[in-house]
Amino acid sequence: MGSLSQQQQVMLQRTLGYLAMLFVVLLIGLPLFWMLSGSLKTTQEIYSTDTQWIPESPLWSNYRDAWERAPFGRFYINSTIVTLLGAGLEIVNATLTAYALAYLRFPFKNLVFILILAALMIPPQVTILPNYVFFGLNGVIGELFGESWINTYQAIILPGASVAFGTFMMRQAFLGLPREVLDAAKVDGAGHLRILRDVVLPMAKPVIVTFALISLVAKWNDYLWPLVITQTQNMRVLTIGISYLFDAEGNNEWGIIMAATFFVVFPLLIVFLFAQRFIIEGLTAGATKG
Amino acid sequence: MTTTRINRRSMVKGAAGVAASAAIGSKASSVFAAPAVIQSGPIEVTYWTSFQGGANGEAQDEVVRRFNESQSDIRVNHEFQGSYEETAQALTAAVQGGSAPDMSLLSDVWWFKFYLSQLLQPLDDYIAAENVDTQDYVDSLWNEGVRQGVQYWIPFARSTPLFYYNAEVLEEAGLDPSIFQNWDTIVENTEALMARDGDQVSRYAFGHPNAASYIAWLFQGVIWQFNGEYSQPDFTITIDEPAGIEAGNFYRDSVADGWAGASAEHDVDFATGLYASVMASTGSMGNIRNTANFEWGTAFLPEKYTFGCCTGGSGLSVMASADDANKEAAFEFIKFSTSPEITAYWAQQTGYMPVRKSAVESEEMQAFYEENPHARTAVEQLPLTEPQDAARVFIPNGDQIIGGGLERITVNTEDAGEVFPDVAQTLEEEAEPVVQQLESVEPEG
Repeated sequence: MGSLSQQQQVMLQRTLGYLAMLFVVLLIGLPLFWMLSGSLKTTQEIYSTDTQWIPESPLWSNYRDAWERAPFGRFYINSTIVTLLGAGLEIVNATLTAYALAYLRFPFKNLVFILILAALMIPPQVTILPNYVFFGLNGVIGELFGESWINTYQAIILPGASVAFGTFMMRQAFLGLPREVLDAAKVDGAGHLRILRDVVLPMAKPVIVTFALISLVAKWNDYLWPLVITQTQNMRVLTIGISYLFDAEGNNEWGIIMAATFFVVFPLLIVFLFAQRFIIEGLTAGATKG
Repeated sequence: MTTTRINRRSMVKGAAGVAASAAIGSKASSVFAAPAVIQSGPIEVTYWTSFQGGANGEAQDEVVRRFNESQSDIRVNHEFQGSYEETAQALTAAVQGGSAPDMSLLSDVWWFKFYLSQLLQPLDDYIAAENVDTQDYVDSLWNEGVRQGVQYWIPFARSTPLFYYNAEVLEEAGLDPSIFQNWDTIVENTEALMARDGDQVSRYAFGHPNAASYIAWLFQGVIWQFNGEYSQPDFTITIDEPAGIEAGNFYRDSVADGWAGASAEHDVDFATGLYASVMASTGSMGNIRNTANFEWGTAFLPEKYTFGCCTGGSGLSVMASADDANKEAAFEFIKFSTSPEITAYWAQQTGYMPVRKSAVESEEMQAFYEENPHARTAVEQLPLTEPQDAARVFIPNGDQIIGGGLERITVNTEDAGEVFPDVAQTLEEEAEPVVQQLESVEPEG
């Protein structure tokens, strides 16, 4: 091996690099391809023991059938409302809280931060029943408003509007920003909101975009909480729409289910294509700052 | 308290009526409180179901539509809540939050848990008031919803295990379907039903499911065929008695001797040709019809020392928390859904068992069976079926505890004599709280 010339070594490294990239592309791309290919297959093709990578004659009617089996138009509207409002609230809350934790001096600041960290440790599944009761007729909302908020948009959105993860992530990012710029702004007479808007946000843009994406994806893909808190068809979201296609006795038409899955994934794919450069910047931004 | 009630009902109405209004939440729904206060319209009944989309969902929509058109006093709003499990979980949460529906579809395993928590309405008064012909319901199905002589759960979408075989394989082997009447004759002919590709088995004579695809439900009939049982009605666990162990070791031998396989979706694997025969739900028939590209046949479950076959599926219950008027209205809908006419329609559309004897005998159904001989096999087997043992349906997670034991037997080929005592011990531990709760719910029982 020592006899390789420098050029050969470069070639070898490059080949290995491309192989690794190919491996990762397959790892991520194959399931997506399998979903797309499955969405165009007949049930017999799907259950065939000889793996069929590309359907013999694409069955486009799976998409029409899936669309007709459940009111996906309505689910799109609901998912969009819940995702945009939910992610919007979460980003605003997280930014304001993170700013306070990073730059303001107030009593028990560390305690507040520890509480937020503690909230980060609680699995969301644990909070489902207490949250449900909170919104119910016998809960806090019932006491305050005389009616339950179960099966309303606000009940789907609110529990996710103050997630600790965003606060934590942004506080760390804000702490990494150069203090001198902030001091300069303060000397120039800028108030907190002005500093946040004109100094902190532009500098922390990659982190904020990254967090916004994480938040959007989480809200869009959330299944359990919307399933529990909604009761009627017109309040359901897209992820629950897929479950409408599953049969109670397990006789599932996977082609149609894969087609519906595509409805759900497609908008996210578009968002990712547009925003991916920010994600990469964002995730690596804090890495060198320590 | 009165205002709260009106608001709660109007909430449901508001959300069901105008979807967009829910976006504005509380304000919008108080607008919709007006009609509820006046009570001029029909009684609104909320019904939670697990049927949506596909043949079953369309049939469910149609049953509700026909009911709503048949009269003007009651309006049923059916809402899909996911699988049997998800529906039960949503109901558990809704009861806590004070937003339970008036009635719900509940599976064979789940209704008892709500009964134990005293959340289900006793239906005898309604049955008497409405002159429901209880004798016309298939006995095994009807009796499953009775506790201490009181009806809590009315059979609706009921299925049973059925024996499916690959008719082409049978013909090639020069065999007659009568070999499936008894496990002994099946075992004698396994070699003829199998196919090999070199050393590899390419087709097994028989296929088992796994715990997740309800092996404990299908084994229920088998343990009865061996004169055993999972448990007695009073929760005395008997799965580890000699008859049960013999049945368990029959399963072990089927795999150890190499003529049976085990897989997650054994009905699909039958339809793709991996197994020459399986026991599967009558509810799988549509799937097998759509997937199999060979001639197939159906038969009663095989016998050993005797015949044994259990029931499954789901039924309808009224929630005890509903208003009196809504309970009455909900029962009207149950009566309609299980009337002979609707039963005939539902059974033809879905493949579920007809729950009424007169529906089976109707000309319409007889003509249907003429065209669908496989459905006839299932309905002819129906009078021979029995409600399942308490250990599987009434003990929390009983199905999966027994299923896990059966997986040890069919996958690891462990001796049932070692597995079933473990299973029995777990079942006994899990049964304890149920038995205690039962003592307070059913004092003299």
